[in-house]
Amino acid sequence: MEETSEKLLKLTIDGIETEAREGETILQVAERLLIDIPTLCHWKFVKPYGACRICTVEVEVHGKTRMVPACTYNVRDGIVVQTRSEEVIKHRKMLLELMLARHSQVDVVRKLAHEYGVDTTRFEEMPSEQCINCGLCVRVCAEVVGANALTFVKRGTERYVSTPFEGESETCIACGACAYVCPTGHIKVEDIRGRKYVVSELALGPTTPIHIPFAAAIPGIPVIDAQSCIHMQTGGCGICSKVCEPDAIDYEMQDTFEEMEVGSIILATGFKTFDPARAEQYGYGRLDNVITSLEFEHMSHASGVTGGALVKEDGTEPKSVAILHCIGSRDKNFNEYCSRVCCMYSLKMAHLIREKIPDADIYELYIDMRCPGSGYEEFYNRLLEEGVHFIRGKGVEVSSAPTLATAERAEGKKLYVRCEDTLLGVPRELPVDMVILSVGLEPTADAEEIARVFKITSKADGFFMEKHPKLAPVDTLSDGIFIAGCAQGPKDIPDSVAQGAAAAAAAMSLIDAGEVALEPITSVVDEEVCTGCKTCMVVCPFGAISYDEEKHISVINDVLCKACGCCVAACPSGAITQRGFDDAQIEAELAALLMS
Amino acid sequence: MPRLQTAEQVKRFQERCKSSLDEFPLVVSLCHGTACCAIGAKELAEAFEEALGGDKSVKFIKSGCHGFCEVGPLVVVRPLDVVYQRVKSDDVPEIVERSLKKGEVIDRLLYHPGDNGNVFAKEDEIPFYAKQSKVVLALNSHIDPYSIDDYLAYGGYGALSRALLEMTPDAVLKEISDAKLRGRGGGGFDAGRKWKNCREAPGERRHIICNADEGDPGAFMDESILEGNPHSVIEGMVIGAWAIGGDDGFIYIRNEYPRALKAFSNALKQAHEYGFLGENILGSGLDFDIKISRGGGAFVCGESSALFRSLEGMVGEPRAKYIHSVERGYHEEPTNLNNVETWANVPHIISRGAKWFRGIGTEDSPGTKVFSLVGKVENTGLIEVPMGITLREIVFDIGGGIKGGKAFKAVQTGGPSGGCLPASSLDLPVDFDVLTQAGSMMGSGGMIVMDEDTCVVDVAKYFTDFLLEESCGKCLPCREGLMHMSRILHRITEGKGKPEDMDRLARFGDAIAVSALCGLGVSAPNPVLSSIRYFEDEYLAHINEHRCPGRVCRALISYHVDPARCTGCGACEKVCPVEAIQPVPDEKRKDGLLREIDVAVCEKCSACKEVCPEDAIVVESPAVTTEHCRKNVTEMR
Repeated sequence: MEETSEKLLKLTIDGIETEAREGETILQVAERLLIDIPTLCHWKFVKPYGACRICTVEVEVHGKTRMVPACTYNVRDGIVVQTRSEEVIKHRKMLLELMLARHSQVDVVRKLAHEYGVDTTRFEEMPSEQCINCGLCVRVCAEVVGANALTFVKRGTERYVSTPFEGESETCIACGACAYVCPTGHIKVEDIRGRKYVVSELALGPTTPIHIPFAAAIPGIPVIDAQSCIHMQTGGCGICSKVCEPDAIDYEMQDTFEEMEVGSIILATGFKTFDPARAEQYGYGRLDNVITSLEFEHMSHASGVTGGALVKEDGTEPKSVAILHCIGSRDKNFNEYCSRVCCMYSLKMAHLIREKIPDADIYELYIDMRCPGSGYEEFYNRLLEEGVHFIRGKGVEVSSAPTLATAERAEGKKLYVRCEDTLLGVPRELPVDMVILSVGLEPTADAEEIARVFKITSKADGFFMEKHPKLAPVDTLSDGIFIAGCAQGPKDIPDSVAQGAAAAAAAMSLIDAGEVALEPITSVVDEEVCTGCKTCMVVCPFGAISYDEEKHISVINDVLCKACGCCVAACPSGAITQRGFDDAQIEAELAALLMS
Repeated sequence: MPRLQTAEQVKRFQERCKSSLDEFPLVVSLCHGTACCAIGAKELAEAFEEALGGDKSVKFIKSGCHGFCEVGPLVVVRPLDVVYQRVKSDDVPEIVERSLKKGEVIDRLLYHPGDNGNVFAKEDEIPFYAKQSKVVLALNSHIDPYSIDDYLAYGGYGALSRALLEMTPDAVLKEISDAKLRGRGGGGFDAGRKWKNCREAPGERRHIICNADEGDPGAFMDESILEGNPHSVIEGMVIGAWAIGGDDGFIYIRNEYPRALKAFSNALKQAHEYGFLGENILGSGLDFDIKISRGGGAFVCGESSALFRSLEGMVGEPRAKYIHSVERGYHEEPTNLNNVETWANVPHIISRGAKWFRGIGTEDSPGTKVFSLVGKVENTGLIEVPMGITLREIVFDIGGGIKGGKAFKAVQTGGPSGGCLPASSLDLPVDFDVLTQAGSMMGSGGMIVMDEDTCVVDVAKYFTDFLLEESCGKCLPCREGLMHMSRILHRITEGKGKPEDMDRLARFGDAIAVSALCGLGVSAPNPVLSSIRYFEDEYLAHINEHRCPGRVCRALISYHVDPARCTGCGACEKVCPVEAIQPVPDEKRKDGLLREIDVAVCEKCSACKEVCPEDAIVVESPAVTTEHCRKNVTEMR
């Protein structure tokens, strides 16, 4: 400490002799010494304000004692501070009584008052107001966010927080910082204009601008979402860098592209789930408590937002749940194929619900139960024994009110799922609390783009095509490019793993060999004849043709050429021929045939 | 007009102004202050201008406030030196004809208090002026506030010339420190120390600010100085800038003072032209200018830190002042803030010396203090008295005692944040420390006198409500605590007070005083605490007996007709808006029937009491029921 030229001030706080830097407040010193001083309007990342006066402490300066708020009082040399003297406690009690009169229902006030043994007030009680006028929201918006979207309106007892001129704030970036600092929960962030905002109510999406992408992310390092980060938008805040002791926050960091030279590539780009909003009849996004299977996974996960509890939007437990199979799959309107995994994961969801809510009514609405695989059928049988209702018939519509006269009636607010029970041959309408849509699997949005980049082909359904379904299930028509997992088509985890291993083995064998067996028949460019028009490059599906800038001619890479002959047919000057298949040879063959 | 550059030039110019003033053998000074203008001084000015018709021998001055507002509009004729009071436009030709042309005194217009035949002609003979000693108000009745030449003729800007050209900043600082000039805005902080601290505070720029946000109800001292002698404030500020090293100046004038604003703007322009402001003032190398900033009507903006925020364009809210504004004020830079009267004192100290200043007033509070003396006193107006004068001298000698010969009850000093002092405090010498010890404060100089018909609880309620209305709402004790105090006071005045209210008022008041954030909050309980201290019995009368000793609180009083005095004229019956007054059959009086007031209907508006020529309407407290009243009336018969 002695090296610093800064002058240190000596003070005594609750009998402890300590030192403070010039400009430090009593509160800062107390925090360092783990002395608890209550505050309501203080947050260490905004300037001290001194509005609530709860942090009042007794200070002795030059023999004179006075009451000062610890948050705004800068330490002076030689002061003696009492943070819990009889006077101080008496004083805080009085202030808490004052607060209780207007804020009797505010948890933070009640709790603090209770700590001080104040449960009633001598002051005339008024209808409880949630906002305690601490000004944290106004200050955080001005000082930290830099948006200045909030202000106090009027003065005295009529004072309240609002936006400038009470209008919709132009400068609000919907960061939610005000709601975060609000000690009473008075501020709620609401999306009124489709602005991006981040809250974690039943958050099934990102929670805060700075977060670890998901629990099992590798590496488990937080990332900053530039879209919602306040610093990225206004240049303000920067709190994360202030609190990060290892100084690991780097706002300048950008996405980077790295080029690697590799011998072979395995494409395992996966899938995306079907967006059920496209099938409006299921009410996803329109009706409360209609969720997708992935959202259910998020909710039931022990480290998820609800800690694994199954809850409806209103926070209560669902007592009846319908699981609708084949959403977006086996459907002429969307995807005709079967997504393969939904039956089994739907059974798993039913099992989880049964486990968490034993008395729940669970319905599985299926077209066919497809449970091939080791132990799968047994799992299905187990579910049958667990009392899950299996209804053979696809759920066709979810609505908030019954539409059929035959609908089963139920008390309270319900969702009604319409289906045809094909085993009984009757249309049914089930009243349930929650609907889970078992969404199918689809190629990723950029599958087409990937296929183009890697010069591989896709099937009609958009998944990547293998070279041969039986003989070369992980190869593609491009040598050295392999596919695995759902990029190739829907499959479950064991299948994906198996295919991944196979692809890895195939890639390794290629690398291990150290050499590539060429196609015997490849195309060749006659350098004398080529005009350098590059037509061949456009038509080559394998990217085997490059352009020699010096010679101004096309050059064919023999390793990549698959001898499909497209370039031969396309070459306007007839400069490209296939080995063993030049015009003279073909004509000779023809002639021989015709002559015989 | 070329800018003046040297002391010699200033001196010569002053002499020129003086001699051109001396060319007029006759002077008519009409008080053109706000109060006199409200009762006809404007029409009077027109009448004078018309009657004088460009007479070159008469200098007609529309001056600032002369002080004796009670008997305005005032006209002083010099060299006769007579004061004419309650002058009307019709009197103007007579004044011109007799006083100006023939040098006669018009007895009819002289000040003649009471019916005892006493008549006062000259200013220094009038008791209201006799005990005053005017320093900052001295020139008010002599100069035209819109004329810098008038100010120069009386030696104006001489102090500036002396300070800038003959004294070092340190010498000026020393002079102010030696004079022990204390801030006239209320706190009474040592101005010399403040200036010195500001000068020594680290910072690139220093700001010199004049606080003219005078918001106390019934106070108009600063307004009268700005209206009557704006150049003295400018001169003081420039001297301050020289001593402190100020880079720019501001005056924060409340928007409710349009006349002061106009006079000051004009004075700024003139000072610029003459070279008393702007670059290289008087060739001294000092660059200094003053900008005007108008307040928006918030009382709290008179508090220094709130004033700075308001100047910066933010909401005027105080902040913790553990770091003094001389170090971090306006824009967090060293700032010296003094009020109008303090600045106006500065030129006098520089030209006449600290010793002279210390010769006036008391040891610890030297100099004079301007008060606006209002309320139930015979002579209301603006006064300037030496510190240390007793309250009794102010109220009874200068103020002429209580109106209508009633008994004195209390005097409220220090504005809404001050306190109520009783008769037992009348002999206290008025200075910063004594008043504070007595539970009140000097404040900026409002002085409201109350008679026996004033209810101190009602007054405390009025001031508490005023402060509640003006509280910015930032800190909890002031915002919420004042509201609860106000509620209790309202309850007490409505006759719903509870015995525990007294204890609560005292406790809540103490809590606010200890913990509020700014000066407004800390002193806000003063009216209540001081009135409890001196008039606890009045509170108890309200609570326990439902009796309002001042017979003011409507819920606790009732109006009745005194049969012994009623002549039956019926004037009261005519004005009663709710027809609560009815004739009593068979009780014939001089002009008609005796009247009685139906207490159940009476709205207690006091209209009848005001019109009754016989003073036969009596107010009872606690309120008496109608039956009771009937019985009383019967007994009286």
